[in-house]
Amino acid sequence: MSGRSFKTLLASLMVVGGLGCITVSGTYAVLSSQQTNTKSTVASGTLTFGDTVNTGTTCFSYGSGSTANVNGACAPLMSYSAAAENYPGVPATAKVTIVNNGSIGASDLALFMPSCTAAATPDAPSPGGGNPCAGGADMIVQETDSSGNATFCWYPDFAPGTCSWMDDTLSFFAGATDLSGALDLGSGPAAGASRYFTIGLELPSTASNTLQGQEAVFSLTWHVTN
Amino acid sequence: MSLPKLKAFLTLLMAIGAAAFFGSGGTFASFSAETTNAGSTAASGTLTMSNTVGTGSACATASAASQNNFNEACSPALTLTNLAPGTYGGAASITIQNTGSIDASALSLWAPPVNATLDAALTNGVTSGSSLTVTALEGTVTSGDSIVVSFGTHTQTFVASGSASGGATSIPITAQTANYAYPVGSIVQDTSSNTTASNTDCYDVKTTVAGTTGATKGTDLDFNPTTGNPLCAAALLYVQEQTGGFNYCWFGNSSNAPTGGCTAPISVTPSSALSTSGAITTIGVSALNGNVKKNDTIRIVSGNNTQDFTANADAYIGATSLTIVSATPNFAYPTTSTITDTTVQNTLNPDQADTISKFDTLHNGSSGKIPLYPLTANGTASTTAPVALAHSATRTFYVGVYLPGPPANNQNPLQGLSSTFGLTWHLDQ
Repeated sequence: MSGRSFKTLLASLMVVGGLGCITVSGTYAVLSSQQTNTKSTVASGTLTFGDTVNTGTTCFSYGSGSTANVNGACAPLMSYSAAAENYPGVPATAKVTIVNNGSIGASDLALFMPSCTAAATPDAPSPGGGNPCAGGADMIVQETDSSGNATFCWYPDFAPGTCSWMDDTLSFFAGATDLSGALDLGSGPAAGASRYFTIGLELPSTASNTLQGQEAVFSLTWHVTN
Repeated sequence: MSLPKLKAFLTLLMAIGAAAFFGSGGTFASFSAETTNAGSTAASGTLTMSNTVGTGSACATASAASQNNFNEACSPALTLTNLAPGTYGGAASITIQNTGSIDASALSLWAPPVNATLDAALTNGVTSGSSLTVTALEGTVTSGDSIVVSFGTHTQTFVASGSASGGATSIPITAQTANYAYPVGSIVQDTSSNTTASNTDCYDVKTTVAGTTGATKGTDLDFNPTTGNPLCAAALLYVQEQTGGFNYCWFGNSSNAPTGGCTAPISVTPSSALSTSGAITTIGVSALNGNVKKNDTIRIVSGNNTQDFTANADAYIGATSLTIVSATPNFAYPTTSTITDTTVQNTLNPDQADTISKFDTLHNGSSGKIPLYPLTANGTASTTAPVALAHSATRTFYVGVYLPGPPANNQNPLQGLSSTFGLTWHLDQ
């Protein structure tokens, strides 16, 4: 082998060695560091409420009888009995306590009447046949303090103090059958707080004889939003 | 020349070549001179990082609890409770520091896979049994998923033989012989996760503690199923960097934000009561926990009093003053008043694209890693900069969550849920 070829061979070996050196360095030249912030938590609150008629059992928006935080099976405000029949000028009332037992305050409380239908009592005379839902009956939505003292009349006056009886207000109220036309009862209750209402119905002293022995069968829906 | 002699000759040549390579070129000189630089040392540098949430303690990769410079157990970024739709949960800062001696060329962010750590060691050469005992699982494991156990450079992949819910402390697996003595604390990851909202690292459970004393909690309710992780899929996440006076929205909605900022809500209080004596053009506030864009509507509320102002300049996270179009306060709003940006909230309310679930599925460890290039201006990052985080340097990120309140959308199923999730930060040399 000539000296030139020998040097070429050595140079080749050096190149191989050099490549090996470079390649090896490249393979292991990566460092890394890593961290994870684990278990961040984001929890939603709850917006639930209970509805108590007079001194009865509280009916909650969730649980038994409810679907998706809507409970359509709470107790009626008033029930017919012969002893409880109404007379013109004598109001029938029921107290309703709304308690927010969720963890989020309600920014709005609303009330509407999904249905109001007329029915005849067993004592209904003939003729009769009037429809108190359509006219001739009065209704109030009175807010009170926990002792029952009037604080604000939401309907029909919409003013501080005691409600006044106005003709045909039941029929007007019954026209709002869903949330879009609901009576806005302002904000609250806050989480853990309660609001107190008196719902009243009355036949005015000028009521038509056609309303004798007639029933207004209605439901009231209370709705809170956050 | 015979073959053996040829081989011997070539071997000799290789030896000579090697000697020439590792020795010196002086071998063939007729004259020679030599010097020796003795005692040279070649020491490797370090690439480590720390992670500090708010003003908390730094979590280091160099700590004893770390494995192979990975620390998968740093503090939660956020702990938000009692969120209501349309209200801002808040943000937390995370400061990443390169605590090593080597500059990092890349800093990345992604969602960790469903993960936990071993809570019972595996014995080398011994069959694992039919389940892995782990710390509370972050995310949900599905049967057939690949479960990777790692410690340092050791790793072994198991196959889940059943499902495991978020928070579970046991993962059913097909038994295998352990290839290493994996100690308690070894990292356990479900590498099949983060593909759909149902198998993300973020997972939902019903709350077991009420948001306020005596109130209902998630487990009291019957209309808030956790299937599909609905809160993870609804809660909006943003990650905004604020380093060196520059901002960049790395993840989240940025459709109505000042340059470089995320569309991040604010919920702050005035630093002093507003005066009704005349028009004002600024409102001092507690440090902003979001961003305000010029012309946004700024609402202040105290009890039944409310007033809307119009922002007259951009403001970023941390600012303590809002510039507004001149207006006279209609009430002496006290320092307990709440100030929000209704424009931002209205922008975010219909957003279904920037949720925690989306972050997990779009930016998981196997794809979609977010390269956190260094910032050069608000909304501008240099993709060609050789250094992403120099040694000893820091970068600060704000992570926030907003639970949107889509108009006319019943969100009752989101009541009383708790989402748990993680964020992974990664440095490369």
